[in-house]
Amino acid sequence: MIRLALAVVVVIVLTLSASGCSDFVEPNQLAFVMASGLDHAENGMIEISHQIVIPSQLKKGSPGKSDSYFVMSAKGKDIFDAQQKIQRKLSRRMLTSHRILLLVGEEFMKHNQVSVMFDKLGRDPANNLRDAIVMVRGGSAKDILMLTHPMEYLSSVAAGKELQINGMKSFSSRKLVIDSLAEGSRPIIPFFQIEKIELSRAKKSPVAVLSGFAVLDKQLKVKGYLSDAEGAKALWMIGRGSSDGITIPWKDGNGALSFRMTHMNRRIHVLRGQDPKRVELTVAAQVYLLENTASLDMSEVDTMVMAQHYLNDYVQKDLQGTFDKMQRWGPDVFGIGEYLHRKDPAWWRSQKNDWDENFKKLDVTVKAKIQLRSSGIIGDQLK
Amino acid sequence: MRSISTSIEANEAYLSEQFNRCSDIILRSFALKDDTVMLLIYLDGMTHMQGVEDNVLKPLLFGGLPQGLDRMQSLAETLRREWLPMTNIKTDESMEELVHHILLGGLGILVEGEASALIAQVQGYETRGIQEPLKESTLRGSKEGFVESIRTNMTMIRRRIVHRQLKMESYTIGKYTQTAVVLAYMEGIADENVLTEVRKRLDGIETDGIIDSAYIEEWIENNSFSIFPQIQNTERPDIVAASLLEGKVALLTNGTPFALLLPVTFWSGLQSADDYFERFVFVVLTRFIRYIMTFISFALPAIYVALSTFHPEMIPSNLMIGIATARENSPFPTVIEVFLMMIVFDSLQEAGVHLPNQLGPVVSIIGALVIGQAAVEAGIISTPIIIVISLTGIATYTIPRYSATLPFRIVRYLMLFISGWLGFVGFAFGMMFLLIHLVMLESFGTPYLSPVAPFDGKRIKDLIIRYPVWVKNGRVKKGRAR
Repeated sequence: MIRLALAVVVVIVLTLSASGCSDFVEPNQLAFVMASGLDHAENGMIEISHQIVIPSQLKKGSPGKSDSYFVMSAKGKDIFDAQQKIQRKLSRRMLTSHRILLLVGEEFMKHNQVSVMFDKLGRDPANNLRDAIVMVRGGSAKDILMLTHPMEYLSSVAAGKELQINGMKSFSSRKLVIDSLAEGSRPIIPFFQIEKIELSRAKKSPVAVLSGFAVLDKQLKVKGYLSDAEGAKALWMIGRGSSDGITIPWKDGNGALSFRMTHMNRRIHVLRGQDPKRVELTVAAQVYLLENTASLDMSEVDTMVMAQHYLNDYVQKDLQGTFDKMQRWGPDVFGIGEYLHRKDPAWWRSQKNDWDENFKKLDVTVKAKIQLRSSGIIGDQLK
Repeated sequence: MRSISTSIEANEAYLSEQFNRCSDIILRSFALKDDTVMLLIYLDGMTHMQGVEDNVLKPLLFGGLPQGLDRMQSLAETLRREWLPMTNIKTDESMEELVHHILLGGLGILVEGEASALIAQVQGYETRGIQEPLKESTLRGSKEGFVESIRTNMTMIRRRIVHRQLKMESYTIGKYTQTAVVLAYMEGIADENVLTEVRKRLDGIETDGIIDSAYIEEWIENNSFSIFPQIQNTERPDIVAASLLEGKVALLTNGTPFALLLPVTFWSGLQSADDYFERFVFVVLTRFIRYIMTFISFALPAIYVALSTFHPEMIPSNLMIGIATARENSPFPTVIEVFLMMIVFDSLQEAGVHLPNQLGPVVSIIGALVIGQAAVEAGIISTPIIIVISLTGIATYTIPRYSATLPFRIVRYLMLFISGWLGFVGFAFGMMFLLIHLVMLESFGTPYLSPVAPFDGKRIKDLIIRYPVWVKNGRVKKGRAR
């Protein structure tokens, strides 16, 4: 009996494997899509661009003259349709699971229901949802995909690393989906702009630069843009910043102090009282003094305490300004709604339907709790 | 059954016929001063000749029988009792017994007019001296290894366990080889059920010859068709002694330096004697590495094939692109490529085992340069596969016992095929069948995967963390086979 069963198993395995009944795909039959771009096209179509690596160009010793990638794009009724059209032009099967960057054009955001995009993102298992999602302002996503990067072999790899090195890891498409589906928070995504950067005397090349953040509403329509500096402050208040640097001018324009910030976080706290709620947003950080052009003798404890106080006051005022500006736009990117939802579900029920408007009326004060941990390795300035 | 005749001529004739055309048989008859004819019979080279001459021939020929000693009823008996200064000596009436002992290297003395023979154990043949075991070397610990002589081996164990509870039962197995086999165990520690079973199986062996303990292993193991060894072999007396104390049973076989230990579990193949000789914290680390490497040794080629050809999305992007770059111009599918390299690797090993020592470097050069580097440069084999196969090869030899590596070398192929055909689903199937087989396997009543399955929380600790010896000593359970 056992012998018969064994024989049957062996025969099945041998026939199936020997006859090639296997569906493996060799790596050289795959086209690795490292970045994709979504652009608006005429007549209700969308344009998909895929940045695909050419593995043979990456081989050591091969002439580095030609690019190690190419961009293929096609227009279609939806993402899949466009993707199929690209596939037909390719000799290899596209593999989108390794994508690290998803670019969305500004025009696309304006004209399309972005839920179109989300359906494909969430439904198709070939999306790993870990790719960074970035908007392109003043240009098309396709243009950025075609750019070369002076250092990295792919502009998408560069973008991924750029986000990571600047402490902004949490802009994945997964995060965007969650933010836009949650009732009490709204998404915020970084955007790229093409800048001409002079790399050397002879060479001036356009490079995609992370130049700010876009605040989106529930329908993923852009409600306002934040510059890079404002964005950093906003991220701190949202709770997504982890480390950053800050420079504050000293009293009466006497030089400036620069700090490195670590352990950045924020806390939301609701103050007693009825509608409209009063909310206190506390940001905290540990800072290390890195540069002191304000002629302060940091070896004095009193000076350090004073500097810390001044820093707290300054940051508080600064962040409050940014917060007020963003509050006027409406979308609650800070997730205060989520917090209030948990704190007072009954109250939230009356608020959630028009949260963007209600958020504008909310009384929010920003408090800073910054600790000065170190004044560097010299106390007084070197004279 | 023929008994010894009183006539020495008849006995000599019979023995000459029995040892007809045996050029090494020596029949030496001589007469004493009182004309008593005696016959010495032995195999040349098998006996300690100096002893025979000094103790038997010289006194009898030159001195004759002692003065005043009358011829007693049995001269042989007199010799045995009073005359010959030898410890292991006996008289016997059976011709069969005489022939048997002569074949074993004994000396037979026949006396005219007596129907019994004096058999003296004066074996003295050349044997190998005790050397360091080559196959199971340790960094620390005894440098003694077993030799081919079973007596020497028994003494090596006796010297380590000085206790009367150490029992050594003797068996003779093999119609022609008459191989001496000794069943050694600690009475009261070893499991009686295991002992009964082993005795029963040893008695059940019907074979022409036992050339090595491997023959016995195949005769008595539970499942001969399993690829996993259910009996451990070792050439280290210290391992045998330690195992006996743990309640295991050892089988020593004459003619081979490899003793058998049973029952064993899957895990005993992954443990080295050094584990108990080094500081225990370090052993935790090495065991951890060894377990990982054991997994790698049979699974890595399969995992590589499954990942890179079925589930490329599971490999980190940069690595996947690296692999894709390296495999850009490969002519064969990954699974075939891995298979080829595994064949090459295994044949290099096989060649290395059989080559004379002087030719060893040739294989290394051919292996490393021609097959490794040239194949990659020619684009036939891609670099990641060389790395995978090399890592697998190294991993195999982190398993301390050679015979424990063998099943993994087979499983490696099976895993590769099924993963190359079905991807990770196949790998999961393969693992499932492997585990099913392992949990079904038994070694003399001990489940092969114990103490993991069936789970035994107390003993499992010794698998992962080797506790300090004093902790373990408090835990040895009497009568518990491990």
